[in-house]
Amino acid sequence: MFVVHLVALAKAIGVHRNTIRNWVKSGRLPCRPGPGKGLVFTPEDFARLCQEFHLEPEALAPRQVGGGREAQPRPAARLGATASREDNMTGNVVGSVMVVGGGIAGIQAALDLADSGYYVHLVEAKAGIGGKMAQLDKTYPTNDCAM
Amino acid sequence: MNIELHTLSTVTGIQGHPGNFTVTLRQAPRYVDPDKCIACGLCAEKCPKKVPDDYNLGVGKRRAIYIYYSQTVPLKYAIDPEACLYFLKGKCKACEKFCPTGAINFADPGEELSLKVGALILAPGYRPFDPRVLAPYGYGRIPDVVTGLEYERLLSAGGPFQGHLIRPSDHQEPHKVAWIQCVGSRSQDGRGNPYCSTVCCMYAVKQALVTADHVPGAETVIFYMDLRAHNKEFERYYVNAQAKGVRFVRARPHSILPGPLSRGVVVEYVAEDGRTRQEDFDLAVLSVGLEAQDGALELATTVGVDLNPFRFVETTGFNPVATSRPGIYVCGAAESPKSIPRAVMDASAAAGEAARTLVMARGTLTREKTYPPERDVSKEEPRIGVFICSCGINIAGVIDVQELADYARTLPRVVLVENNLFTCSTDTQDLIAARIRELNLNRIVIAACTPRTHEALFQDTLREAGLNPYLVEMANIRNQGSWVHQHNPAYATRKAKDQVRMAVAKAALDYPLARAAVPVVQQALVVGGGVAGLTAALELAEQGYAVTLVEKGDKLGGNAWLLNRTWKGEEVRPFLTGLIAQVENHPKIQVLKQAELKSVSGSVGNFTGEISVAGESRRVSFGVAVLAIGGQEYKPEEYLYGEHPRVLTALELDALLREKPADLKAAGPVVFIQCVGSREPGRMYCSRTCCTHSVENAIRLKELDPEKPVYILYRDLRTYGLRENLSTKARELGVIFIPYTLENKPRVTESAGRLEVTVTDPILGLPVRLSPDYLVLASGIRPHDTSGLVELFKCGVNEDGFLTEAHPKLRPVDSTVDGVFLAGLCHYPKPLEEAVSQAKAAVTRAGIILAKSAMELDAIKSEVTAHCDGCGLCVDVCPYLALKLEDYQGDDGRRHRRVVSDKALCKGCGLCEATCPKEGITVHGFTLPQLEAQVEAVLEAL
Repeated sequence: MFVVHLVALAKAIGVHRNTIRNWVKSGRLPCRPGPGKGLVFTPEDFARLCQEFHLEPEALAPRQVGGGREAQPRPAARLGATASREDNMTGNVVGSVMVVGGGIAGIQAALDLADSGYYVHLVEAKAGIGGKMAQLDKTYPTNDCAM
Repeated sequence: MNIELHTLSTVTGIQGHPGNFTVTLRQAPRYVDPDKCIACGLCAEKCPKKVPDDYNLGVGKRRAIYIYYSQTVPLKYAIDPEACLYFLKGKCKACEKFCPTGAINFADPGEELSLKVGALILAPGYRPFDPRVLAPYGYGRIPDVVTGLEYERLLSAGGPFQGHLIRPSDHQEPHKVAWIQCVGSRSQDGRGNPYCSTVCCMYAVKQALVTADHVPGAETVIFYMDLRAHNKEFERYYVNAQAKGVRFVRARPHSILPGPLSRGVVVEYVAEDGRTRQEDFDLAVLSVGLEAQDGALELATTVGVDLNPFRFVETTGFNPVATSRPGIYVCGAAESPKSIPRAVMDASAAAGEAARTLVMARGTLTREKTYPPERDVSKEEPRIGVFICSCGINIAGVIDVQELADYARTLPRVVLVENNLFTCSTDTQDLIAARIRELNLNRIVIAACTPRTHEALFQDTLREAGLNPYLVEMANIRNQGSWVHQHNPAYATRKAKDQVRMAVAKAALDYPLARAAVPVVQQALVVGGGVAGLTAALELAEQGYAVTLVEKGDKLGGNAWLLNRTWKGEEVRPFLTGLIAQVENHPKIQVLKQAELKSVSGSVGNFTGEISVAGESRRVSFGVAVLAIGGQEYKPEEYLYGEHPRVLTALELDALLREKPADLKAAGPVVFIQCVGSREPGRMYCSRTCCTHSVENAIRLKELDPEKPVYILYRDLRTYGLRENLSTKARELGVIFIPYTLENKPRVTESAGRLEVTVTDPILGLPVRLSPDYLVLASGIRPHDTSGLVELFKCGVNEDGFLTEAHPKLRPVDSTVDGVFLAGLCHYPKPLEEAVSQAKAAVTRAGIILAKSAMELDAIKSEVTAHCDGCGLCVDVCPYLALKLEDYQGDDGRRHRRVVSDKALCKGCGLCEATCPKEGITVHGFTLPQLEAQVEAVLEAL
């Protein structure tokens, strides 16, 4: 069982706390009122909630109560396992790539990625990119200018 | 705009998992605010401190405040805190005083950054070997001994001597130059690296040829062990160098002595006949090898990937861009020494691998480039701006650009003329855009290099400045001027004036053109079911595109069925069966066996093909095609092949090793002959894989029976890169290598059923007779008949029958036709890992097209005018089948015929316009009035 604070949940979803109260009353939120302003969820319901509203489980700071004897590590880790298979596939994948090295290989990789719809962080140790190829005069076998 | 540069930065940590890493970076302070710096160069002019320029490898000098090189990105100055007087002694700050924009900030603390990324690609590159440890070569002591990379700077127009070739000791032109190969490579004594660095042979040959251009009549000598010209068109380049007088001496010089008065050098070597010789040279170039970058070990430790014993990133033969840690990929020379095309290919492959794992999040963080609205120039008189490029000294070294600029000012409608050191540099783009706005320019002429490489850049600059991109004209005064007339500067200048006058005349008549867009069919066609084709199909499907795979046989897998192991020792079959199973079971892949592509129409983004499958015809639509039709082993006609049962090809030996190892174990001596059907007149290319293949099999034979005599008769042993370790191992196991030459090939005879091989040993100078039980011919790789595909797609093919790439260095997987990509042996002979890499790279390149829903076409297209009377002359000449005849009802109520042009098929070649006798069809951007204006302009000079 997880206990989530009413105000924290309202903030995370972005609605007024009374709205949350109404949802609980109407049964839209599958939970029961707990001690203080806590709301008690089953792990499955909590996972569904997070998925529905695209919430980071950790951000709600859920307290785990009861069932603690099942040798479960931390709630966040458990949630990661149950709730976020789907979540991992969509929300958690970052659409950017870091390319380390700004020589011809790094530049080509960066351009291909940027052209394919990914944001690129190109990291270069020197003050400018270009790498070794920029130091070459001509390239074989066509004797084209390397620049 | 979707690439963020972090310069002066190093990776300090990484956390998370594939798809979601958090990487921390340490960005060293630049001490110059990049937002304020305008790269005017005043700071560097005033900076009192000079230090050796690391870009020019210490050959020249730079200041403590510097830009890395003049075309670098970002073009912003930086202060080198290890050289700056303020940081060393606490005073100076001259740059701060003179900087007009107040960009200098000595208190810049640098930055720690934490970035969220889905994947990481490592491309830290290599460093050249430092030959100081090889004391007998005198590098660092003898002034006229330089490294290969330093020599590049000496030759370069952007180098410390502006491309005037001089030697360091007395700044005189060298007339006799020596290259010493394998410096720090193929070394067994621990002072260098044991592997081959792959690129040095070819760069030395190139430098020798370029030297002859700089100093006519120069004598050039290359001291080599094995000349490894193993990639596409390299062999012909090498043979051409021999024909042009570059002398190749097979020797590894043991020492270099200073010449008289410390000028020039004396090279001491043992010639092939075993005698010691001395030869004087003006300059010696050490062809230094490649080794892992300084930071490679730290980077690998930080991000947690495995390195091999040579400090290169460890990969497998089946996925040459994946590291030991999921989500982290590698490309470039950090994986092994490699040439530029291979680095570019691997880079595209690594990009594709990264993209595939992040496909869910594609497009979530990127933005589209936006341009200001286009200015309507139709009511304006032409106001032409002419930008003349010096191209360092590439142009200015021959053509008098000042005179050209003065001349251009006299031309009608020219409002502005400027001369730039590099017109293609970022700051000049900004300058052009600024001048367009300030002076209300509406036509631009760029007198520089070829539109083939640079027109797109200038078109983009115009768009950014609010002009239609087709209002730019280029005059190619470099390739057609300074390069071809370098010995006649006066003539070159006169010709450049003609070219600029023509361009100005045409520019005045340029008018805005709109680009049409065609929808992209987000499906792919892969032709060929070998490893390259299978890999390409699988990767495309994994990226979410439907794929049709066409295989002409009834079995997938191709040549890989005939192989036992990769050169790294991995079993090929499990990989192959796994790959085939994945392809055959993939819901997005349709495999057509016994199928052949019969016809293709359409163009990039929208092709239609007709495929005959076991006699039945099917139609498919596809946006891109990957051609991977493979190659085959050459069946020799020489050396008693087919006449004596114990003369085998390399693949036949593989089969024997697989099926009857006991026979081979019991057999007596085995002789390998290399270069069978390769590197000969008519087939002037190296098949690349055969040297490694023979050496591997020689090792296998020695492992079966250590006492078995094994001989490899070779011309140049081309176990390039880390494969060199195999040939070292073979030598250690007692395999005997005997070189032969093209003029003096081994002779194979049969007497009483036994084979006899006679070869001349170069050291003894006498024939050696061997009586092997098996003779293995390392026969080369032949392309399949590519003429059908060439006909269907109109793609390019070289004289050996291999399909040509769009650019040998920078676009190694794109074919000459847009939307058609190459992978595997049909492009050039290559080992398995490179075929895989090329297939993955082809998919990345194809993915760029497929990721779009619509594709912009070039606006240079044919258009039928009212003059067309439907004679149809142009229909016959159109090579792209873009023109068709149609019937229509005219205003007079009668039926007429006219031509219609398909914009998607038209390539704007202009044949129709040239053929039409009545101006019934025209090509935008090359209309008759524009061409007439150009012709009139050129005739003006007469």
